Amino acid sequence: MKSAIQKLVFALAIAFMPMLNFAQGAFDKFDGQDDVTSIIVNKKMFDLMSKVKTDASDKEAQQYLNLIKKLDNLKVFTTKSTRVENEMKASANSYIKSAGLEELMRVTENGRNIKILVKSGSSDTQVRELLMFIEGGKGEDTVLMSLTGNFDLNEISTLTDKMRFPGGDDLKRATKGSKGPKGAK
Amino acid sequence: MISCNNEPSLQKYFVENTENKDFIALDVSPSILNLDQTKLSLEQKEAMKTFEKMNVLAFKVNGSNKAEFAAERAKVAKILKNEKYQQLIKFGSGKEGASVSFVGDDEHIDEFVLFANKENAGFAVVRILGKDMNPTSIMTMMTALKNSNINLDQLKPLQEMLEKK
Repeated sequence: MKSAIQKLVFALAIAFMPMLNFAQGAFDKFDGQDDVTSIIVNKKMFDLMSKVKTDASDKEAQQYLNLIKKLDNLKVFTTKSTRVENEMKASANSYIKSAGLEELMRVTENGRNIKILVKSGSSDTQVRELLMFIEGGKGEDTVLMSLTGNFDLNEISTLTDKMRFPGGDDLKRATKGSKGPKGAK
Repeated sequence: MISCNNEPSLQKYFVENTENKDFIALDVSPSILNLDQTKLSLEQKEAMKTFEKMNVLAFKVNGSNKAEFAAERAKVAKILKNEKYQQLIKFGSGKEGASVSFVGDDEHIDEFVLFANKENAGFAVVRILGKDMNPTSIMTMMTALKNSNINLDQLKPLQEMLEKK
């Protein structure tokens, strides 16, 4: 009898293994909800992009590729629903506590609160995760964005220049000289 | 769940459903790009050689096949969860969405898979097959495509499907 239960538990564990793999993130529950639009860029994508050979004299492109190499995942969730917004706020808040994120910047623009938080790495400007939460309102989307990897805060402005994602401008302002002088490399 | 011996693959799925009346199947050859060979650089020519063909399988929703739509969409989603298909990007909501995955390793890509679906319209799976494609060759192809004069005739059946909604 006991062994039958053990077998069952084992079988269940195996059956659920793939699901565990997919449920790694704190915000993954928003993925696939009807009133949430999500964009997920996986590490593999960054890996592939970083392997594109470019002209070594093109400094901007090199800078860009250097940063891409250091990125793991980009997740963006947007919604117009107040219910989901509240859920996002709650998830973000509990995640911020459990993962130990620090506030980098907080702005209020046209009545919308924008919060940018980071999880610091080995040095002050080194970042393991960047989290941004933009409150919705006036027909505007609520945006929750998480970017993980191991990158320098100062490098992010290259990314915001190249890719246009929500809150990019605010991010740019936040990363420019926000944490002390830019150290020479 | 019980056994992996009979592992479903997209290849098989395409073969099984090509004749199905709910589906539209299309094979697209590189000629669709209608590239002027004389205007291509050597690099671009080399890159284009790595691209072999594109297979498209699309499911069209009509009044009577909503249940099949959900079932078939779930089947494709399940196949794409196989670790052979490495997901690059995913975009969408519960009602619609698209994803891009690939097969192979970073410098030797055999296949790209595009999967797009929309509730009440249908879904499409696009396999872009090649030989040893790599990130650089893809970028080179993209730049070549900018100058291409794409011949959309091969895509007519799909266009018709989208227009009908």
